[in-house]
Amino acid sequence: MLLIHCPYCDETLPEPEFAYAGEAHIDRPADPQQLSDEEWRDFLFIRTNAKGPHYERWRHINGCARFFNAVRDTVSDKFLTTYKAGEARPDLAKLLEGQK
Amino acid sequence: MADAIEKVSPLHALAEPGRFGDTSGEPGVGLSERLCDSLVQVQAWPDSISALKKAVKSVTGASIKPGNAVATKGDVVLMSTGPGRWLVEDETDDLEVRLRKAIGADIGAVTALTHARTVVSISGERCEWVLASGIALDFSADAFPVGTAKLSHHHEIGLTIHRTGDQAFDLYVVTSMVRSFWGWIARASAEVGYTVS
Repeated sequence: MLLIHCPYCDETLPEPEFAYAGEAHIDRPADPQQLSDEEWRDFLFIRTNAKGPHYERWRHINGCARFFNAVRDTVSDKFLTTYKAGEARPDLAKLLEGQK
Repeated sequence: MADAIEKVSPLHALAEPGRFGDTSGEPGVGLSERLCDSLVQVQAWPDSISALKKAVKSVTGASIKPGNAVATKGDVVLMSTGPGRWLVEDETDDLEVRLRKAIGADIGAVTALTHARTVVSISGERCEWVLASGIALDFSADAFPVGTAKLSHHHEIGLTIHRTGDQAFDLYVVTSMVRSFWGWIARASAEVGYTVS
């Protein structure tokens, strides 16, 4: 069973308690009216679709219900880390070093 | 003016008292239903958690404990259900009113859940085994000590689970889903034999 650590509950719990919520660290444009159609399209739909470590949002939907961020390897499905929403994205090199 | 609304069991005609499932030996678990007198959720803003804790203590006399430890004092039960959020239960009928007076909009939000949750209690030698057969938590006493509460779910039905004793759990189930949940827990208990009281 895939286990995920909720940074708010500080517990590692089974994946069915959680819901995937898309790529992380995507800022909503401050003034959408100033965007071209292409820029708005990019904001809404275009994602990195990474093969390997991916910054993404998850929600502890059947627990505290909070959104948080995670770094997950899309190849191995392994979570490198999870962290609270609003925190800066962690240094990927250090995370990968810690996996060795 | 009509009399006070009579509480009606959502498990009416489903959770009848008796002995069920395997009857070859002692029953493995006992099941029962409990309707709360008052159950209220309180939610603080990110910067008003300490103020909300003080307000809850002033109303209930019980102090919120850290983490998922459950605070109990008399008939008051305080359970954490997320950051800055707790369930408050007691046996009065005006808990919501008292909490609303103490917790203004500047401190947080108060939501009455008395009719929205039904407590299914399970106890007995095999209760850990029965719960573990359908809920993806570690129910061993080391991982889930007496006096703590955890959130989880059974399929899509959200649960707040309070371990009340070595062999006893209270499960707070969404009332509109509790008939479905009872169907599962009764079938899961049948293998070890169960009583309903």
